[in-house]
Amino acid sequence: MREALHVERPYFLASLKEWIFTTDHKKIGILYFTVSYIFFLVAGLFGLGIRLEQAQPGMQVVSYDTYNYLLTGHGAVMLLWWAIAAHIGGLGNFLLPLMIGARDLAFPRLNALSWWMFFGASVLVLLTLLPGNQIKMMWTGYPPFASHPNAGVTALYVFIIHLLGASSIATAINFIVTYLKMRAPGVTFWKTNMFVHALIAANVIQLVGVPALAGAVTMLLLDTYLGTNFFNPAKGGDPLIYQNIFWFYSHPVVYVQILPIFGLFSEIVPVFARRPLFGYPTMVFAIWGIVVLSFIVWIHHMFVSGVPNWARVLFSYTTLLIAVPTGIKIFNWMLTLYKGAIQFRSQMLYALGGIFMFLIGGLTGVPNAAVALDLGLSDSLFVVGHFHYVLGMALTLGILGAVIHWFPLATGKFYPETIGKVSFWLIFFGANIFYFSQLIVGLLGNPRRYPDYPPIPEWATLHMIQTVGALILGLGILLFTIGIIKGLISGEKAPQNPWKSPSLEWRLPVPAPAHNFGEEPPKVDKDWHPYRFDRLEGGK
Amino acid sequence: MEQVLALPYAWWKEAVIVWLIVAVIIYLVVAVPGLYFLLKYRYKPGEREIGDHEFNVHAGLEAAFVLIPTIIVLFLATYSFSIFKKMRTVPEDAITIKVTAFMWGWQFDYLDEKGNVVKSVVTGFHPNDYNLSDAEKPVIPAGKPIKVLLTSLDVIHSFYVQPARITEDAVPGRITYMWFQINKPGEYYVFCREYCGTGHSHMFSILKVVPPEQFNAWLYGDKAVAIESETNKEVAQ
Repeated sequence: MREALHVERPYFLASLKEWIFTTDHKKIGILYFTVSYIFFLVAGLFGLGIRLEQAQPGMQVVSYDTYNYLLTGHGAVMLLWWAIAAHIGGLGNFLLPLMIGARDLAFPRLNALSWWMFFGASVLVLLTLLPGNQIKMMWTGYPPFASHPNAGVTALYVFIIHLLGASSIATAINFIVTYLKMRAPGVTFWKTNMFVHALIAANVIQLVGVPALAGAVTMLLLDTYLGTNFFNPAKGGDPLIYQNIFWFYSHPVVYVQILPIFGLFSEIVPVFARRPLFGYPTMVFAIWGIVVLSFIVWIHHMFVSGVPNWARVLFSYTTLLIAVPTGIKIFNWMLTLYKGAIQFRSQMLYALGGIFMFLIGGLTGVPNAAVALDLGLSDSLFVVGHFHYVLGMALTLGILGAVIHWFPLATGKFYPETIGKVSFWLIFFGANIFYFSQLIVGLLGNPRRYPDYPPIPEWATLHMIQTVGALILGLGILLFTIGIIKGLISGEKAPQNPWKSPSLEWRLPVPAPAHNFGEEPPKVDKDWHPYRFDRLEGGK
Repeated sequence: MEQVLALPYAWWKEAVIVWLIVAVIIYLVVAVPGLYFLLKYRYKPGEREIGDHEFNVHAGLEAAFVLIPTIIVLFLATYSFSIFKKMRTVPEDAITIKVTAFMWGWQFDYLDEKGNVVKSVVTGFHPNDYNLSDAEKPVIPAGKPIKVLLTSLDVIHSFYVQPARITEDAVPGRITYMWFQINKPGEYYVFCREYCGTGHSHMFSILKVVPPEQFNAWLYGDKAVAIESETNKEVAQ
């Protein structure tokens, strides 16, 4: 029996039937990531369409309605597919059981259900590509506009959110139970990988928040098609109720998106600094501090929507306080580099670049939180630049770095190192050129979601620079994608534990075998810690 | 002293500068040591293969990481509060204009002290360019605070006065308010800043800022002369 486990083929050499009916967390993780990466590329092309249209004043490339569809698609797909599914459904599924030494998630069949609901939502998104099915209400779907014919097919949007939401709730329960009940003996709370801590925190937010969003869009559906009046001011409803419920979930969701990325930075940086993560306990407290604060800041999305002045001031204070736990994380990453032995592997570049982008993103978040500044910046391109630094680039660099880092574990091969480095510099320079000029044009007052803008010379110049930056960024992403394919086909064969990390997932042979650790969980002695490099045995 | 172009733009600009100074300092405090560590503590085979494993946590440093940023953000939030208060307190001598937004244009109703409409201007939808005829341009006096009462006929819009850098949503079923002042005569853009469909990017208007006397003549037309003489009479008495 034991013998048989050792000759097991790697998990990915399964038949098509096995892939379709699989309940294995690694296969489901790969499926999630593949779909979300393809959607990332498509939404990226949507983004390029937006940029080409804005390159000059006047309408040259697409019509107003097509532009609005591209913008809605870019926002919704990037936020819900790339920024949640890639690292919770994809990396999270793949890594969570391996990092805690478990055989699989607690409920493998529930996990398969999550994946198929996610797949169903993906098919619904593809339906919007058909003429007549387009959604043009932005990912926020504010009523009363969302109930207006100009907004497109509201029902499709609502069903997409419902399917994704059900999938997310199932995943959240699965991950939390797995972490609570299935850790290998010795993997205690204070010896858990930061990525796992972050995943659990993110899924606690999902569990609390998603029902609010589902409620908001359900009322939207009833208003639009059955004539109820939750948000219809003509019949006593109030559109601001939607905004409150929507942002009650949709602000915390940005932490669902970014917390696991903090986790990924915290995994990659210590390995290539050969030094334990600095201030590990504070890093864990900071994550949970962010979770608590994330639920009491949502009004900052509504600073100019007519809410009372006292509410704006109160929420300005709570929002700015979030800078404290996020600042702690940046300071500790910097001190992890202090007295390290730093190697600039490509995933380390991605992680450091991501932290740098997050630093700028955090600092440009301050004026959006300080209410006096936000009265002039709300709904300008400054806001767009800010969240592309944070959610756009810090997040993307984190995920791409993670792809390179765990590529050997998933495939048994290395991601091509040179392509990794070149694509990093292209993405990094392109993104900075792009988003920094976006911040400036926002400060000059350019409103967001504008396909066309008046022929003001400074605006036109800055838009042209942004478009050039976006093309460089796109080239970098294309190169990275070529790297994935090249790595899969002809990547250099990787040895076991190629990065010499004490983290549990690297105790497995590469690629990971079908049954993970086999019959017994990995043995963990009392000196073990996922970030202690001085206890590695046998030069591993 | 430099002439102030507009309010609350002058205060807003001051706040932007305060933020920029704080942001650049924090940036340097993080990035310069970070870059230095990256250059100094590089991996060297045989010499530096493993990082320090002693200095992993420092209670004093962590406390400083909590306390110092907390003080900075409380300062910024309170500073922003003090400016916010000025931005949201309408001066008593303000002229009131009621702005009704619709897909995709604006109606400007000039109100007198009793709330009666004195004059109305409608900016319609111009899908192809950013030019308006004079009849579609709302006129305001230079150097006088303007109070704007906002509402919408259909979906949510947002009234953004670009030179004053202030915005407030126009929400159907509600009346929201804002105020601004432009000191230099000229023509300035107003934009819709809340997404409202096909015509969103062409939902604009052009504010024509004129000297106050010219404004009175525009607002009251022939009646202006009469009012002026009446005022003169009052002054004489």
